Amino acid sequence: MTSLQKQVWAYLALLLLIPAWFLAHQNTTFIENPVTVAKALPHFLSDPATWTNIGITLARVVFGLLMGVAAGFVAAFAMTRSRLLGDVLSYYVTAALRTPSAIAAILALAIFKGSEAGYVLVVAFITFPYMAVGLRDGLASADHDLDEMAQVYHLGLLTKIQHVWAPFVAPYIFSALRNAHALAWKVIVVAEIFGAAKTGFGAKFEHAWSYMIMIEVHLWLLVFMAIVLFAEYGLIRTAEKYVFRWR
Amino acid sequence: MTQETRPSVLKAVNLGVTYGQSEAVAQLDFDIKRGEFVAILGPSGCGKSSMLNVISGLRAPSKGRVLVEDEELFTAQSKPPRLGYVFQSHRLLPWRTVRQNLEIALAASQVPRGTWEARIDEILSILHISQFKDAWPMRLSGGQRQRVSIARALLIDPSYILMDEPLSTLDEVTARSLRQELTGICQRTNATVVFVTHSIREAVYLADRILILTKGPARIFEDYKVPLERPRDYDDARIAEVEADIIRRVQAPWGLAMREESSVA
Repeated sequence: MTSLQKQVWAYLALLLLIPAWFLAHQNTTFIENPVTVAKALPHFLSDPATWTNIGITLARVVFGLLMGVAAGFVAAFAMTRSRLLGDVLSYYVTAALRTPSAIAAILALAIFKGSEAGYVLVVAFITFPYMAVGLRDGLASADHDLDEMAQVYHLGLLTKIQHVWAPFVAPYIFSALRNAHALAWKVIVVAEIFGAAKTGFGAKFEHAWSYMIMIEVHLWLLVFMAIVLFAEYGLIRTAEKYVFRWR
Repeated sequence: MTQETRPSVLKAVNLGVTYGQSEAVAQLDFDIKRGEFVAILGPSGCGKSSMLNVISGLRAPSKGRVLVEDEELFTAQSKPPRLGYVFQSHRLLPWRTVRQNLEIALAASQVPRGTWEARIDEILSILHISQFKDAWPMRLSGGQRQRVSIARALLIDPSYILMDEPLSTLDEVTARSLRQELTGICQRTNATVVFVTHSIREAVYLADRILILTKGPARIFEDYKVPLERPRDYDDARIAEVEADIIRRVQAPWGLAMREESSVA
């Protein structure tokens, strides 16, 4: 099956959701008619407030993810360089990995009183262990043969990082990043709802739900899914395809 | 210039390698001259890898010295010598194309960037792999990858090239063709080569001199000058005679049963 054929099948599978949505609408009062939602979509998307709220949530996710990635890198390097640090940090990483997102969100928001820092830190806290564990596994399985080659040919540290180590751990980074990214979106919505945020996707979703504006609930949900899918397929997978083009 | 009057490129003086209580290399003394092709022959586990690690600069010896062009190899203040290394497996960066793999070695060796293109084109042409310049290593056959690895070693004008059984993983047809080309290329480029092999016939075919090691811990049992002029034919009866002569010599020190073999694994 060619990649185009695979894509066609994937889109067809996605389109099957529409009749399923329609069936669900006919059997419950909470699910809106997909046609009604589709009709409301252009107006919703043309409203600048929609994009402002999306932008706010996106910024929280991006900054939190960046912090989580950076902290994960530092933790992974420390864990592979020193056995003592590895032992100590592994407890923190394990605890962070198993902390429920909602608990982390409530704690961070209680500490930071619902400030911007609280939202960003929740995302960072939840995503950093995924990066730390992924990168640590990558570094632990480093190819010593290539390391020796780099040493014999006197490759400088930067060249080694850029051309030997980074490409080697790239699959681990991408795998961790994908998990961390998915989790970041989930946790930010939880944090925005629990933190009684005034802005952002979670806030608007919660507002629409509280007032039972079901069309708006559906619209926010659709936009959320579109953004997450775009980030996964449009950004992460495209980058992955480029990085692994040698395979 | 006779071989004896050529300048020394790689010299080991009383070289020894110990791992804890275990002695891998007891004592090695040799002097390899510019343009020489020297094969190192020894039974499995005799300490060849330990020796290679030391003369490639990967680890310091436990005792003795290594001199490269009369400079100490293991001194912090000296600029490390350029050396080429053809490993048993190609050890190319799979995420870099052939050209990029070669460029990394050139950059690390501080070869002026303006000369890269011409150098790469020339060496790939010599090794008959010009058409793979922009290919990913994964798309190449084992023989082609090893050619790229040889190209990388030759490209940087190294003081000497270490080859650690570079043909042992290839099929016999590919290995034969590469062996033949290797002799021609090394003569053309006047490269100094230290070639580690298990195959006595391969050593006889390729080398000017064979350093025969004892069972571990390694010592030089014999510095054997190959009594054959070049060019050589791999299937020549005289090569078989020299091979048989070496087998006779190594029977006792390697602790082998008396039997005729074309190679010693």
